[in-house]
Amino acid sequence: MSLNVRPILSALLRNRTGAVLVAMQIAIALAVLVNALYIVMQRVEKIRRPTGIDVANIFVISSAGFTDHYQAVPSIREDLAYLRGLPGVIAATPLNAVPLSGGGSSFPLVTRPDAQRTDNFNYFEVDEQALDTLGVRLVAGRNFRHDEITPPLTRTDAARFVPQIIVSRALAERLFPHQSPLGKRVYDSLNQAATVIGVVDPLMGSWPYNQHADWVFLVPRLPATFFGALDYMVRTRPGQRDALMRMVEAHLAKSNPDRVIHWVRPLTYFKDLSYLGDRAMEIFLATVTALLIAVTCLGVFALATFNVSARTKQIGTRRAVGARRRDIVRYFLIENGLITSSGVLVGCALALGTGYWLSLQYALPRLDLYYLVGGVLLLWAIGQLAAWQPARRAAAVPPSVATRTV
Amino acid sequence: MLKMQDVSKIYRTDLIETYALRSFSLRVTAGEFIAVTGPSGSGKTTFLNVAGLLESFETGSYELDGNDVQRLSDDARSRLRNERIGFIFQSFNLIPDLNVHDNVDVPLRYRRLTGADRRERINSALDLVGLTSRARHMPAQLSGGQQQRVAIARAIAGDPAFLLADEPTGNLDSLMARQVMDLLEQINEMGTTILLVTHDPELARRAQRNVHLVDGQISDFRAYEPRNAGAEVARA
Amino acid sequence: MFGYYTHLALKSFRRNPGLTALMVIAIALGIAVCVMTLTVYHAMSGNPIWWKNDRLYTVTMDNWDPNTPYRAQPKLPPPQMTYKDTQYLFASNIPERKVVMYSTDGVISGAGSAAAQRVGTRLTTADFFSMFEAPFLYGNGWSASADSPPQPVLVLSREENDKLFGGANSVGRTLRWNDHEFRVIGVLDDWFPRPRYYDLNGGNFDPPDGAYIPFRWGVDLELLNNEDTDCWRPEKIDNFKDFVASDCIWLQMWVELPDAATRGRMQSFIDGYWGQQRQAGRFPRPLNNRLTNVGQWLRDREVVDNDNRVLVGLAFAFLAVCLINTVGLLLAKFLNGAAITGVRRALGASRRQIFIQHLIEVGALSVLGALLGLALAALGLAAVHHLYAAAHLGHRGGYQELTHLDFVGVLWAVLLALAATLAAGLYPAWRVGRLPPAVYLKSQ
Repeated sequence: MSLNVRPILSALLRNRTGAVLVAMQIAIALAVLVNALYIVMQRVEKIRRPTGIDVANIFVISSAGFTDHYQAVPSIREDLAYLRGLPGVIAATPLNAVPLSGGGSSFPLVTRPDAQRTDNFNYFEVDEQALDTLGVRLVAGRNFRHDEITPPLTRTDAARFVPQIIVSRALAERLFPHQSPLGKRVYDSLNQAATVIGVVDPLMGSWPYNQHADWVFLVPRLPATFFGALDYMVRTRPGQRDALMRMVEAHLAKSNPDRVIHWVRPLTYFKDLSYLGDRAMEIFLATVTALLIAVTCLGVFALATFNVSARTKQIGTRRAVGARRRDIVRYFLIENGLITSSGVLVGCALALGTGYWLSLQYALPRLDLYYLVGGVLLLWAIGQLAAWQPARRAAAVPPSVATRTV
Repeated sequence: MLKMQDVSKIYRTDLIETYALRSFSLRVTAGEFIAVTGPSGSGKTTFLNVAGLLESFETGSYELDGNDVQRLSDDARSRLRNERIGFIFQSFNLIPDLNVHDNVDVPLRYRRLTGADRRERINSALDLVGLTSRARHMPAQLSGGQQQRVAIARAIAGDPAFLLADEPTGNLDSLMARQVMDLLEQINEMGTTILLVTHDPELARRAQRNVHLVDGQISDFRAYEPRNAGAEVARA
Repeated sequence: MFGYYTHLALKSFRRNPGLTALMVIAIALGIAVCVMTLTVYHAMSGNPIWWKNDRLYTVTMDNWDPNTPYRAQPKLPPPQMTYKDTQYLFASNIPERKVVMYSTDGVISGAGSAAAQRVGTRLTTADFFSMFEAPFLYGNGWSASADSPPQPVLVLSREENDKLFGGANSVGRTLRWNDHEFRVIGVLDDWFPRPRYYDLNGGNFDPPDGAYIPFRWGVDLELLNNEDTDCWRPEKIDNFKDFVASDCIWLQMWVELPDAATRGRMQSFIDGYWGQQRQAGRFPRPLNNRLTNVGQWLRDREVVDNDNRVLVGLAFAFLAVCLINTVGLLLAKFLNGAAITGVRRALGASRRQIFIQHLIEVGALSVLGALLGLALAALGLAAVHHLYAAAHLGHRGGYQELTHLDFVGVLWAVLLALAATLAAGLYPAWRVGRLPPAVYLKSQ
């Protein structure tokens, strides 16, 4: 079974325009496929990172007191009592900001007093029901006790710190590498100390698109209202969220004339919005890449068909002198294979070059070679498959064509 | 009107040189009807292509209607071909998705003529060949003889100085062939020079003069009674 | 001749409808994807006040931590200013107009029969409206004299006025803002600069604020910024007084400088102040005070994100493949029609005329492709718009504001069609013109 590539190759080189065009398409398609797939996979991984939060069953309320009669502490107590008393509610907590929403506060922490402060860490002001409301797992230490929840910061003592905090495991690893953080102290910028009493894992904070979205700590303190508003987070039993949302909004809007309910929204709203850009990018990349491969397939198919129709006389003559059907098929598949292979070869260089350039320009991580190999195999297979039908059609050309003159 | 002197046409590949025409000379005066005969491979088609400015040549000179063809650009050659030459092919070569009227129209479009002028010429050409009633039909709806007559109408619509006919009756039965030859004679009587390439000696007999080609050269000539006086005899 | 060639092109399409459709679709897809990404890119990179690009400047000073640049950007100063610095610089008479501002959340109640509702409010000095050319539907803004001491006057956006007063002329009506009585003195007309260049600390494409009140109310009522507040110094901030005296940044400052000379004077003034403060121990980082115009500001703040650039590049790569594909198909089609081309050449068509005839055929294909491509782009943009609008639960703002197909998109379609004609058609049309007619006319 001789492949006899050389005569096929030299025939191809003599009439190369069509082949060059198809090879170019394959090269570009490979470069795009590999890089687009890589980017999409990165986004998918990012979106799949565990939040640690029972997102599907949680909704959030934004409440803003606006008159001089509004008193934060009694109002919070009254609202929480109402919320926690509702059947179907598992837990509720006050919050200064909403996780996964892109909005929140952060604070510098260090492990020795007077140490240089290099990073700010995302925090949430919560009470003792926060862990049950978020649905996060406590993996070490303990939760806050009710008596440990401190009053909110006010306009005259806005610099106060708390005696205990709970940290995420990622933050614990950052502050106290390879040690248990329990019982250890952290210091704010004024060297006020707090002790770590618990560790949760995982927990994603306000900015899910950040690299260290899980460096989070919880502060046992009612939220301050001089920032404008405070939030309540409510966790419900599965399936009861939407009905409870409507009920809660209707009640709270009227229960206190000194405050306004700005919105009541499910936590999924915030999560979807934060990941919207990534999802849109995924969809667009996937669609255009698929179209690109379709167009390239078309090009391969068209060239193969054209080659077959332009050479019917030659095919007939070959058949007349003894070639079998599968020799004809093999001829065309080899010819197509040469074109596809040269396209794939150039495409590899193009893919690597583009990947490298993207990593420089846009700080994307460098291309993983698995994607290149996968792309090569996929495109090569598609390139050959597209020429299959024209090759079959070539084999059907009857030998009598050789003797016809018209 | 047509003067070829020592024209050679060479086809070259890497290893071989083939002389399709070898030091070929011919002089044709206006109004003549000349048949060019010879066996297959003798160079008749090449002669036709060179005479019709469809192919270039390597040595010699070719003067057509006072123009030295060698010195002309592609644009000028195309214009000369368009205005002075009419082609008739063995396989008619009508454009299949244009109707009869539009087919005759094709050469006229490459000149600066008004719409009315073109229409008038097309109508008189179709009238001459007797196909005015079929002006809106497609070529596929016509017989072989009718298609060739449309091709003739197309060739004369621009009032060319001479017609080049390549085996015009090759694909026709004897009745249609006779009709076509009658038409050609009629056109020649009206003053158009005709160069007819054929391998059929019967057809060649209807011409005034016969030029016989073998291996790219004129082997001998037989002069028949010239219709017009003053026909000049060519020398090899 | 142009009419004749177009007629021939249409006949050619009809002769081979499948192949023609394939080529038109290939071109259309390439153009559609390009128009979509370019429309979004253009909207994202637009300068909504481009005619004032030589006059409007944002003021920034680098008051940040000597050990770490602000948000790891070593070349740029932080995008907002401290209270102390803006107060000093605002007193200068060098700029033709000047603005110091920030945004906060307020609750409006007692407005007609509307329920109490939260309204994003901008605390700004008087020149805001003239500086950024915000158009008024009713009434107008306040003058500088109403800034200090701050008068209880308020300007509403059109959307907010619709919500509170049903769109009526509310000038002169009173309402309560955070339970203080304010009087409406103006209502803005439709105004939605994209991006919201004067304040990029919230969403870049979010709508402008619902209400505007004089800046000093923020200080008197001790209102905090609802977007971005950043501090680096370990200073004790127990109350609002500490806050306004600190090195925390939370304010935006803009100046209008009519010419280069004024700009030079303003720069010297700022640098002079910087020098003084440095003596007193502030501004530990190197000198980096900037007056940045809007165009440069949008670039510094990276409003156009990398994703969008990648998408534009991808779109052009896709277009390239579509065009290469079309070249191949055209070559095949034209060469297949070699016999007819040979006949035309025999009948007197010059190479140039054959070339032009085929180029016009490609042009006609591109026109059809561009029309279909525009339709597909409009559909695609509508789909993207729907995706984003749904995620925003019907509120305005975000990338849904960038998906409007406008004349720029149409212009791109036209340009791309032209480029497609040339890129895809030049080589095949040239090739078919060079065919030796004799070969294709052989009678045997």
